[in-house]
Amino acid sequence: MGQRHVLVTFNHAPYGSIYYTEGLRAAVGVTSGVDEHTVDVLYLGEGVRFALRDVDRRDSARYLATLASFGAKLKVEREALAERGIEEADLAEDVEVIDRRQALELVRRADLTIDF
Amino acid sequence: MANLYLIDQPFGGNGLALAQHDDEAIIVLIQDGVNLDVSTLGNGHKPVYAVKKDLERRGLTDQAARSVKPIDFGELVDLIVGHKVINFA
Repeated sequence: MGQRHVLVTFNHAPYGSIYYTEGLRAAVGVTSGVDEHTVDVLYLGEGVRFALRDVDRRDSARYLATLASFGAKLKVEREALAERGIEEADLAEDVEVIDRRQALELVRRADLTIDF
Repeated sequence: MANLYLIDQPFGGNGLALAQHDDEAIIVLIQDGVNLDVSTLGNGHKPVYAVKKDLERRGLTDQAARSVKPIDFGELVDLIVGHKVINFA
């Protein structure tokens, strides 16, 4: 199949479902095959709540560490933060805030997207 | 290849927000996504489709915006196969 670039989007808020952590597991899985796919991780809508500094990451820490080792950065849509009154100062250090047009560029760049 | 935004509730709004800025966006409303307001996309500027069966089941066939084109499942499959799918369903 060859190397592909995959965008994994998160729309579910953390907790109350398995999506926020299973999505990260899938993102790690995407990068793990022989084809060495690359991945972007993008938080949209309610998903941006995962970017808060004080979110309990115990069940996702290993996936996040693996993604970080690949250089995959967690990206969060600025407009979704603003719509929810979340200040950038309240976000974890390992997330990058991007605007909607930059988010769209991630969509364009991806060979395929997977949503959680 | 144009991006095909597959839109359902509850996260379809996130997809429509992205599609609004995507000049090549094609939007397909499925299931409860047919209830969403697509007027923010600029009527007629982007192709918007809705699954006919999903409109019928919700009594929306006559209420759907004029700019929304009803499609059957076969046409949905053709659109999915022919484009890059950005899934919000």
